[in-house]
Amino acid sequence: MTEPIIEARDLGVQFVRNRRRNLRLREMAIHAFRRGRRQPAGGDTFWPLRHLSFEVQPGEALGIIGKNGTGKSTLLKLIAGVLKPDEGGVTVRGRVAPLIQLSAGFSGDLTGRENVFLVASLHGLGRKEIRARFDEIIDFAGDQVRDAIDSPVRHYSSGMKVRLAFSLVSRLPHPLLLVDEALAVGDREFKQKCYKVIDGLLAEGRTLVLVSHSQPQLTRFCKRGFYLDRGRLVVDGTMQEALDAYNGPKPDEVDADDD
Amino acid sequence: MTSSLVGVWRARNVLQFLVRRDLAIKYQQSVMGYLWSLLEPLGIGLIYYFVFVVVMGRAGLGGVVTEQEYILYLMAGIFSFMWTSGVLSEATGALTGQKSLITTMNVPREVFPLGRVIARSAEFLAGLPILALIAALRGVDFGWWLLALPLAIVLQLVFLTGIALLLSSVNVMLQDIERFMRMIQRLVFYGSPILYPLVLVESSSLPGWLKLLYQANPLVGIVEIHHAVWFPQLFPSAALLITCVVGCLVTLVAGWLVFRWLEPAVLKEL
Repeated sequence: MTEPIIEARDLGVQFVRNRRRNLRLREMAIHAFRRGRRQPAGGDTFWPLRHLSFEVQPGEALGIIGKNGTGKSTLLKLIAGVLKPDEGGVTVRGRVAPLIQLSAGFSGDLTGRENVFLVASLHGLGRKEIRARFDEIIDFAGDQVRDAIDSPVRHYSSGMKVRLAFSLVSRLPHPLLLVDEALAVGDREFKQKCYKVIDGLLAEGRTLVLVSHSQPQLTRFCKRGFYLDRGRLVVDGTMQEALDAYNGPKPDEVDADDD
Repeated sequence: MTSSLVGVWRARNVLQFLVRRDLAIKYQQSVMGYLWSLLEPLGIGLIYYFVFVVVMGRAGLGGVVTEQEYILYLMAGIFSFMWTSGVLSEATGALTGQKSLITTMNVPREVFPLGRVIARSAEFLAGLPILALIAALRGVDFGWWLLALPLAIVLQLVFLTGIALLLSSVNVMLQDIERFMRMIQRLVFYGSPILYPLVLVESSSLPGWLKLLYQANPLVGIVEIHHAVWFPQLFPSAALLITCVVGCLVTLVAGWLVFRWLEPAVLKEL
């Protein structure tokens, strides 16, 4: 058996609720205090995620479902390493290609072209590699994006941003792909293109962690499913089991999703 | 500290890219970009030269340099100050201003303030030929004491790196810091021997503890070393030099520790 690509042990992260501007100094104090004592201080803190332990093997496709605000995005951020856990830890073996919160990390004041170069080089691609892939990335993102590639990204529609972001992130050579709701924005045609790309990546043996509310998407790609509820990992089983838990006892009230 | 150094070293391509982008954005707007960057320090230098030498006469020079040489003395200090001031104003927003990258990508977060420091350092280096030109025009001798320049640069780089790490992370938690920056820049300008020679502070009637406090600022030693590049007699005393070196190292370590300590909270906040 190979080593798991993601390994989470008793993972938990704590946020401070309703923090106001004038509490900034206090938060620092709370943080220092917690670090020292290793226990939560103050009353208005909460755990968007706590006590998560799981392993993901290379090549697995994992779907995560749960209501809004149950920690799905937080979990992806922890896996991507852009949040640091307050409890436990998560080990990721290999580089991560993240598409978190509909964004690959684009800055609004840079053009599409500059953003592609910036983000791709932050992901470890050299200039030559990026140039070699550039046309392919733009082609995939569509004509609309191609025409606007030299204007600032803040003028892009959300669909254009997501198309460019997905196009870029899916062409990174990293073994682990994290996708957070990104496919909900594109139109039908683009989604079909994305599906093909994801199928291809999975066939290559890449690992996928997909957060989505679209049941067809989840069942299409993912064999394994997580159901998160109020920060706990309630179901870790097949995708169907997770969906059943999410849908609860009344399966006919499933929100009718697209495709 | 080693783990963080290794992390930054691995991310050196990223760093290189950030610096290049930083400089490109700043200078692409004008073809004269480089000359523009020299215009501000030169302008400031000329203004002070006019006020202190032409208008007020030689009163403030303290007998350390001649009126002829004062413009070089002034410019050496101002170039060093511009470097500090650039870092103070731009490193503060290094994390808040690059939020979109930091919240989606797992690169060592240190590279963001570091990148800003390096870009400003490149600007400083680019200004050095002008100093050499002024020195040549004013007939100041070049000599082995030019070796003070690398020392000044290394010390200032160490100091500014510490400051950048400190300010960028604290600024996420306390966003009013940016508002104090203008005042702090003033303080730094008048609180180091840029306009006036250090001798005047030492021989002044200030209480002893205040003189000590003044010299505890590592920038005082740094600016003096920048002067010593052209006027070897101004090289700091052993006591001042040690204070300066220790001060720079303490600033770096403190800045780095604060950065590490705040990092988890910073990531949640962004």
